[in-house]
Amino acid sequence: MLEIKELGVSQPGTDAKEIIIAVSPAFGTGLKQSITDVPLEEILKELCAGIEEEGMNYRFIKVYNSTDLGIIASQGSKLAGSGICVAMQSRGTTVIHQKDMVPLDNLELFPQSPLIELDMYRTIGKNTAKYGKGENPEPVEILNDYMVPSKFLIKSTLMHFKEGGMANRDMAPIDLEVTF
Amino acid sequence: MKRSKRFEKLEQMPINKDGFSYEWEEVGLITMESRFDPKPSIKVENGVIVEMDGIKREDFDSLDKFIADYGIKVENAEKAMAMDSLEIARMLVDINVPREEITEICMSCTAAKLAEIVSHLNVVEMMMAQMKMRARKTPANQAHATNLDDNPVLIAADAAEEGARGFAEVETTCALARYAPFNAIALMIGGQAGRAGVLNQCSMEEATELELGMRGFTSYAETLSVYGTEQVLIDGGDTAYSKAFLASAYASRGIKIRYTSGTGSEVLMGDAEGKSALYLEIRCLMLTKACGVQGIQNGSINAIPLMAALPNGFRAITAENLIASMLNIEVAAGNDTAFTHSDFRRGAKLVMTMMPGTDYISSGYGGIPNLDNVFAGSNEDCDDYDDYYTLQRDMQVDGGLNPIKEETAIEVRNKAARAMQAVFEGLGLPEITDEEVEAATYAYCYKDMPARNKVEDMKAATEMMEKGTTVIDIIKILHEAGFEDVAENLMNQMKQRVIGDYLHTSAVFDENYNVISAVNDRNDYMGPGTGYRISEDRWNVLKEKFSALKPQEI
Repeated sequence: MLEIKELGVSQPGTDAKEIIIAVSPAFGTGLKQSITDVPLEEILKELCAGIEEEGMNYRFIKVYNSTDLGIIASQGSKLAGSGICVAMQSRGTTVIHQKDMVPLDNLELFPQSPLIELDMYRTIGKNTAKYGKGENPEPVEILNDYMVPSKFLIKSTLMHFKEGGMANRDMAPIDLEVTF
Repeated sequence: MKRSKRFEKLEQMPINKDGFSYEWEEVGLITMESRFDPKPSIKVENGVIVEMDGIKREDFDSLDKFIADYGIKVENAEKAMAMDSLEIARMLVDINVPREEITEICMSCTAAKLAEIVSHLNVVEMMMAQMKMRARKTPANQAHATNLDDNPVLIAADAAEEGARGFAEVETTCALARYAPFNAIALMIGGQAGRAGVLNQCSMEEATELELGMRGFTSYAETLSVYGTEQVLIDGGDTAYSKAFLASAYASRGIKIRYTSGTGSEVLMGDAEGKSALYLEIRCLMLTKACGVQGIQNGSINAIPLMAALPNGFRAITAENLIASMLNIEVAAGNDTAFTHSDFRRGAKLVMTMMPGTDYISSGYGGIPNLDNVFAGSNEDCDDYDDYYTLQRDMQVDGGLNPIKEETAIEVRNKAARAMQAVFEGLGLPEITDEEVEAATYAYCYKDMPARNKVEDMKAATEMMEKGTTVIDIIKILHEAGFEDVAENLMNQMKQRVIGDYLHTSAVFDENYNVISAVNDRNDYMGPGTGYRISEDRWNVLKEKFSALKPQEI
């Protein structure tokens, strides 16, 4: 069971070991499962375990002012003590971002969410933490299947509507307390 | 419930791996004919449009204003708008009404009016109308040439084979953006090694794409995206004006361009203003017209898995291709994105443009295996060539391609690869070995190529651009290395940019660099015996099936 409590407006972190996990507007509230119906807490569990295994800390934030993953990640990385953010839309699309990059650039991007298995989220967590430590890890292998859109593009569009419906262009990022 | 064995089998069929959805009109998740689409209207005062589709001028957004001021022929607008839409729809399929009479009317219509006109047509009528309305009489086709490793030798060989198979245009892009200059050069050299007159483009981020054109490494550009709502256009970092400026930049260097749009892109980006996909696409077409751009790539393109998930998807896509032709702009008609697991379904989609013919039936056809397609898979790939040829032969329809013998493919692929080897040597770029030339000659996909040092290649590509290398350097090298014909083809391509005739609507080149366009190859279809007819020579090419029985020899 995933529970999300909103705390207050996020402030820049000072802990150099801090990774930001940034999520999209409908994450865990409007949408509780990924595009392949995996409960979002299972994904977070793996992601967090990956970060912990590398000895780094994490803080959750929710970005309301955009549904664009690049923009979400870019705000997250600027708030992270380590300057590194892993950002996720509810459907499971994930990106690793660093604070000096332009929003649409990234360290690693995993665009085809239906192909991301749970163990991959753990590796993504580990790599995020490694970037946070100033290491330059081998990128996680990106899976690509050109038939994915033919099955999932419509569902991903509908999930994106849900994100858009819960977005608020005037809101600053919020710290979250996440329990699962 | 006890399961029916037939239903269980049906469930396993490829078609049922596709995604499907019902409509949701309120957010614009509908292909066409939404209850929330604006109703046609126009008011003109002192030569200025003061109301369009129910919106008053003071309430226009930037896109409305641009279209009203530059995208509609005002002189005739009130008269055209007063015509019955059903009557115009009937003119579209009436063999006694010439194309020009209809384009004159349509260029004075608003988006809602154009949507209303095509709403009266079923798909067969749309196809019939397309046969008459496309700008260029002779149909053509476009191919993709990419590979997952960005191997430039393989791109050159693939482009050469595509040229030999009859594609009028070839298009590449990169897996890694820093490879762009090499991919562009490879495509250019390969295309000309396959057949003189092939047009070539490298689809990249806009500034890079323009730079490649200015260096002479490409002869056209297509990846200039437009959208039908102001918000999505702005989200893409654009305004109508910025797109128009970009178009002018290309025109100033004598480079052909078309814009890209397609139904479903706005709703995919989450901002369709509650309008149907077709209505918004018509706005894109009118914006294209307003910017003075001669052509469009549409047919849903990347959003086709979405459009195909909705009822009426193919009909809306056929309509958007048709409306481009009704506005007298060149149409590169899509069929370029994998959207279904079903061969039955993708074949049906293809014939809707292949039978009537469009300026480019695909944009593009994957002349490579889909696994190597960096644009995401296409609706057709190199494994489908014989199916495609057979359809041309079955129906006596010209899909723009011609069968070739294996030895021809090997010959042109080898020539392109060797030309690349010479150019890389001449420019001091990382060596292309004989082993690579041999591999590219016979390759199926990237896995058949020896690995190149990508870091070294990308560094060299960047340095080449910094050094100011242009196509003229390449022409000199090719000439000195004994590839006089390829050098001459490239030189001819550069001359054409000075002449500028290939900037006319729907222009392609024949193998002697003669322009074939909507100006000198006007589509004059007016029923049986008119318009494009397959000549005896062309039929002899199209009906070729090398493996067919020769009855007299049995």
